[in-house]
Amino acid sequence: MTQSATAAPSRPAAPAAAGGLMRRLNVFTGIVAGLLLATATWWVTSSTFPTLDSGDHKDDAVTILTLVAWVVGFLVGVGAFVGPVRWLRGKDLTHEDELYLAGKDLGAWRYLKFTTDHKVVGMQYLVITMVLFACGGTLAMLIRTNLITPGSRFVDPATYNSFVGIHGIIMVIATIVMVSGPFGNFILPIMIGARDMSFPRLNALSFWLLFAAVPVLLSALVLGGISTGWSAYAPLADQANRGMDAFLVTIVTFAISTGVAGMNITTTAVKLRARGMSWSRTPIFVFGTVASVALGLVAFPMFEVAMILLGMDRGMGAGFYDASIGGSAWLYSNLFWLMGHPEVYVILLPAIVALMEITPVFTRKPLFSFTSAVLGIAGIAGLSLFVWAHHMYVSGWAPVLGGPFMVTTELISIPTGLLFLVLLGTLWRGRVWMRLPVMAVYALLWNFTIGGITGIYLSDIPVDQAMHGSMFVTAHFHYTLMGAGLTGAMGALAYWFPKMTGRMLDERWGAIGFWVAQVGFNVTFMGMFAVGLAAEPRRVADPGTYFHVGNLVSSIGAYTIMLGMLTFLGALIHSWRAGEVAGANPWGARTLEWQTPTPVPLENFEVLPVVTEDFYGYSENGHGADGVSPPTTPGAPPERVEVGAP
Amino acid sequence: MKPVRARPAWRRPPIFPILVIWAVLTLLLLLFAPIPARLMGQAASPTMQEIETTVTWFTGLSAPVAALVWAILLYSAFRWRHRGSEPPMEDGYPLRDNRRVFTVWLLGSGVLCLVLLVWGLVVIAPRTAEANPAQEPIVVDVTGQQWAWSFTYPDEGNKDSSDLYLPVGQTVAFRVTSKDVVHSFWLVQLGIKVDANPGETTVATVRPTQIGTFQVRCADLCGLYHSYMQTTVHVVSEADFNAWLQHPAETSS
Repeated sequence: MTQSATAAPSRPAAPAAAGGLMRRLNVFTGIVAGLLLATATWWVTSSTFPTLDSGDHKDDAVTILTLVAWVVGFLVGVGAFVGPVRWLRGKDLTHEDELYLAGKDLGAWRYLKFTTDHKVVGMQYLVITMVLFACGGTLAMLIRTNLITPGSRFVDPATYNSFVGIHGIIMVIATIVMVSGPFGNFILPIMIGARDMSFPRLNALSFWLLFAAVPVLLSALVLGGISTGWSAYAPLADQANRGMDAFLVTIVTFAISTGVAGMNITTTAVKLRARGMSWSRTPIFVFGTVASVALGLVAFPMFEVAMILLGMDRGMGAGFYDASIGGSAWLYSNLFWLMGHPEVYVILLPAIVALMEITPVFTRKPLFSFTSAVLGIAGIAGLSLFVWAHHMYVSGWAPVLGGPFMVTTELISIPTGLLFLVLLGTLWRGRVWMRLPVMAVYALLWNFTIGGITGIYLSDIPVDQAMHGSMFVTAHFHYTLMGAGLTGAMGALAYWFPKMTGRMLDERWGAIGFWVAQVGFNVTFMGMFAVGLAAEPRRVADPGTYFHVGNLVSSIGAYTIMLGMLTFLGALIHSWRAGEVAGANPWGARTLEWQTPTPVPLENFEVLPVVTEDFYGYSENGHGADGVSPPTTPGAPPERVEVGAP
Repeated sequence: MKPVRARPAWRRPPIFPILVIWAVLTLLLLLFAPIPARLMGQAASPTMQEIETTVTWFTGLSAPVAALVWAILLYSAFRWRHRGSEPPMEDGYPLRDNRRVFTVWLLGSGVLCLVLLVWGLVVIAPRTAEANPAQEPIVVDVTGQQWAWSFTYPDEGNKDSSDLYLPVGQTVAFRVTSKDVVHSFWLVQLGIKVDANPGETTVATVRPTQIGTFQVRCADLCGLYHSYMQTTVHVVSEADFNAWLQHPAETSS
């Protein structure tokens, strides 16, 4: 935590004049540039690429390059490369330019520009996450509608498979970013007492990469769909139509986005914590979010590589996954699950630690066993890198590894148990102020208990022989990712909504929506456990008559979820526009983000805080229930004020 | 200096009512424990029998754990609740940690985990033994292709069939492969599942013990008509099996 006070970066002698091209760039110029470059690339590649004898690789190569061109063109057009280009030309950004990039005095426009302020990026992430959930949720409803009656032809099998794949990948992307995107960007820097992230431009880049990836993903719908499920197993993925090209470009773009964001969040948490905020005084949300994004830094490149190889297979017939020319389908499944299992903890950890932040506030008690929380997070993050092959118990690949992977998989229940201990211990004898955020803790602990226990069945190799690839698995991971993950994210949203929007989230309609969705969720996936036990395979367009009742129950539950989610969304939108105006610290919380004014000013703190104790000291050392006596003293050495200034 | 009180209110946690809720929930969950195995249907092989027993035991073992979490949740939601729209005037008590609870929790989850591990590893062992029985197993070559299964009996003059016929009580070794993409060969009531990979042969063995007609499905999304990639396994008596080998037309459906 040492910071050189003297190393002020030397500015170029002749700074560029205020104004210039960068002030004219926004999302619309980005779209235009993206479309132009994509069209040009399509024209050049389709008229120059040879048609190979070995198959229809040309179409795939053209599609992949066109979509990549869209992403690059969009980023150029939105102004993502203004900083580096100006630096290369020897006309580095002036302080005024930096403030402009941070969105100073730009009003609502700053949300449509390459804006570096972490709070703007956080809001952008929040909106895009909700858009993704809306798309993924709509697809889920279509899937459930098709499964209401056996032999249903609501959609044909090709469309059904495509819906399953696109629903899967949209939800995976949305849940990965749902906490570390909005709250990791908006809240985390304030929570650690920083003025912004370590790399504000990379922060904006991570969002706009995700933004550029969304239309690529949705283009799969018109390019023939993603017919493989989101796991995109090769060689089925080699065989699939051009929707697969959109899929792989999406994944590569998204992996770069999460890589940039993960590096940024990690560096920020390590380097920019306020003076006095030692690790044992750092809020647990920071630990969990950093563990999650750092895990992503290891995991997602696996998927990225898998997709680049797939792109070479499809675009040029390289044959990495083609057994007939020496490739292997198991190479793909290993790479996929090397990402796939850490990924579920990338999703879960931030949601759980958000609730660990919430529980002390609403029980007016310290977080129980901070050590357990840190141990649990570290244990999960570490072990989760060594469990991937439990997804391949029945694949036939290296049966000898079944035993060791069963050991690692079941060991992970121990650190997971510690996270339960922390939440339960914090609830223990607390005076629970039953507001919407803390309701999520109850829902999560209920759902995650079921999700965790059903995971134990699947970790057992013989049992997995019966359950692998069945609806039981689908129900299990929805209990963890939706029942625990999304529930936690909804709690986090209810909790930080007043700080982010300046208004309170409507408690009544928010809670009604939340609980209707929770009940619907349990109905849906209990029904799905039942049909899974009765041996309905997952991802089947027509499960047949034997599973009729369970599927009907699941579909009714799914519509209930929709009803609840729409109510919650309605409450959210209404509160955002016209809700009760929130004070700076409506919950009486002690962490630093609540000690700033609402709306949070551009550089967060007038004077950077100095931390003298941790943030969970409720009822200790004479802190009253008002919670507004933060463990900080104002006043900081002047060099600290410069830290992180854009 | 804080005054040391003999036994402050928070030192007297409501252990008893929570224990009662825990006991009731545990009992309910134990009553529920046989249901998953019932949903899985009649087992037609020792392998499936073992799987169903394991499922029932796992449910039973996890019942007290889930009940503990839910008992605390229920009690906290109703009895420790602060009513009203304003935050409580007084804070909760400053419980930071409890070394004993931490240790018990860690040991408890460690022991449960160990039980699961030993259980799992012990159950795998006989399966490996089943692969090398004294009796020579009947070999069946299974080939998956979009979207059908086909079966060949190499010891019976490469007899082909689209339905699977197996004699009851004899060990069968499947050699599974695929012509195109990855499929997963699933004998539902026999508790066998192994992927069919292009260019590779995977092996599974089973000893059907129940005469009857059961499902063969594909458990891995394999393209357009994945849902319909299913056929039937007929487990028949030795005599019927031999008859079928000789006169396929009479018995195959």
